Amino acid sequence: MVDRRRFLKNSLAASLFPLIKGCYQSTPWERAAYRKSNHSRVAILPAASYDTPLKNVVLDGIKLFGLRVHGKTVVLKPNLVEYDPAGVINTHPAVISAAIEAFRSLGAREVLVAEGPGHRRDTEYLLTSSGLHAMLKDHQARYVDLSYDDVQLLQLQSRFTNLRQLYFPETVLKADLLVSMPKVKTHHWAGVTLSMKNMFGIVPSAIYGWPKNILHWAGIHESILDINATLPIPQFALVDGIVGMEGNGPIQGDAKPCGVLIFGDDFAAVDATAARLMTIDPMQITYLAKAGEFLGNVTQDRILHIGESLEQFRQDFRVIDSLRHLKTLSA
Amino acid sequence: MIETAITFLLKAQNPDGGWGAHQGKRSNTEATAFALLALRTVGDRSVGASIDRALDWLTERQNMDGSWPLTDQLKPGSWTTALVVLSLAHVGRHEQQALRGANWLLSQEGRDPGWLNSLLYRWAPHRLATRLNPDLKGWPWTPNAFSWVEPTAYALTALKKLRPHVQSALAEDRIRQGELLLYDRMCKGGGWNYGNSVVLGEELPPYPDTTAIALIALHDHQTAEANQLSLQALQHMLTDVESGLTLSWAILCFALYGQDVAAWQQRMARTYDKTGFLGETKTMALALLASRDGAKTFQV
Repeated sequence: MVDRRRFLKNSLAASLFPLIKGCYQSTPWERAAYRKSNHSRVAILPAASYDTPLKNVVLDGIKLFGLRVHGKTVVLKPNLVEYDPAGVINTHPAVISAAIEAFRSLGAREVLVAEGPGHRRDTEYLLTSSGLHAMLKDHQARYVDLSYDDVQLLQLQSRFTNLRQLYFPETVLKADLLVSMPKVKTHHWAGVTLSMKNMFGIVPSAIYGWPKNILHWAGIHESILDINATLPIPQFALVDGIVGMEGNGPIQGDAKPCGVLIFGDDFAAVDATAARLMTIDPMQITYLAKAGEFLGNVTQDRILHIGESLEQFRQDFRVIDSLRHLKTLSA
Repeated sequence: MIETAITFLLKAQNPDGGWGAHQGKRSNTEATAFALLALRTVGDRSVGASIDRALDWLTERQNMDGSWPLTDQLKPGSWTTALVVLSLAHVGRHEQQALRGANWLLSQEGRDPGWLNSLLYRWAPHRLATRLNPDLKGWPWTPNAFSWVEPTAYALTALKKLRPHVQSALAEDRIRQGELLLYDRMCKGGGWNYGNSVVLGEELPPYPDTTAIALIALHDHQTAEANQLSLQALQHMLTDVESGLTLSWAILCFALYGQDVAAWQQRMARTYDKTGFLGETKTMALALLASRDGAKTFQV
């Protein structure tokens, strides 16, 4: 027979269990993945064209955040996607060149460029056709194809997908600083592609394919969150907004000059700011709205713009019809 | 070019007998399969020991289910299985292991996008984001993913190479479906990209390397209109290409289609002088194949 005291104790435990379990499962991210601070700073610096000297602009942007890179290994992760004769698809080599010079001038031990393109297997073709190969040769900078890097298996630090674990390249994991260098572009599936979506490129294609289809099946927004939540290293974003892309991005859109470089150490805040620059409401972008809960700041009141004001560079980026709901901001 | 490539491959072979994507990187099945095929074209005893070590590396790493993983670190079967099957079939040793690999390939297929996509394709194709026949099954890069052009082309080439030994209704059906899938994914005007010819109503351009690989897989239909159109498209795409990988695949393709490749080989050598092929093992191996009579490797 169950005595009264034991019955009450068991009943209490039974009624509390779902509550405790519910609390425990209320956030789909590990505690270690939480990196949101009270406020984030994002710098917007003017850069009229790729023909103007950009090293000092990049240096100014880095200095605003007091990054200490002396003796460190810095990995620059541009967005290198396709043959791009008009300079609209890929992060422009002039911006990458300026970043190499700037980080070297701050005493970085090595600055290397690394990418794992999503569609193109022929890295040599991408590098030569984009002008990146000649630039890297001039700088004697190393390029690492992340699709073929040695890898480590990491448990994902959030559970927005059901992937649970992914392989990450050792070049990225061993870096002292990872710099996401996307271009400001619309994206026909994700809405925008900026510093967080740019991290798709670090997932090795030799394992996951060209395209990295398994991430698409798992959900693009969800994969962006899981990948960014799992990257353990210090991060910095340097966004090429000198000429962006509007319309049917990330490949077939049209050039949209904005004349800015955007800097920040909170990817979510940088992406939210870039989205506002594009007159796209970041809270309408699924991955950004969710990232704002744990990865960084997305709401305007938590982001301090330093450098120039956002307003003077804001552009009305055209989006495809199915993404019109993102355009709740006006230019 | 030939001597440079041979020297590179012999020097880049890891102590375990395999090759990594670059010298010093962990051995992987893709680089090792291509390096093995390339060294086989050398035909003298100086590379014999290297070939034997490569064969040992590959045959020791076959999974119980017949597949090969990409590296020692990754146990599940991978898309590189087709390349190992092709290389073992061409070398003519370890035939049973090649057949087990072929059977594993026959058990793999691209993910089914679902009945709704099938219905839309039949009744309202304009509602689909991509213009392709979702009912055709080829091969994916990784299990549970969609069928794409390059892994399908590799699997087709390997299965066709072993066709006399894997004759079965299943094998014939998969080969036929794989071919239909490639033709279905062809871009307007000929050629292939990774596997989407139209997305959201916009035509996507073909890639030269993928086009050459697909044409190699379909070279037993070389007089077909689609093949000839794609062959012309490939020549057009190569106008400004400076890449050892793409030029190697293109040379192997042109050779299989009976074209003179001497001028292309010279251009490939000039490209090597500029880029060093980024020190990529597979490109050096393919360049060696393309500089000799490596097209035979893919002949069915």
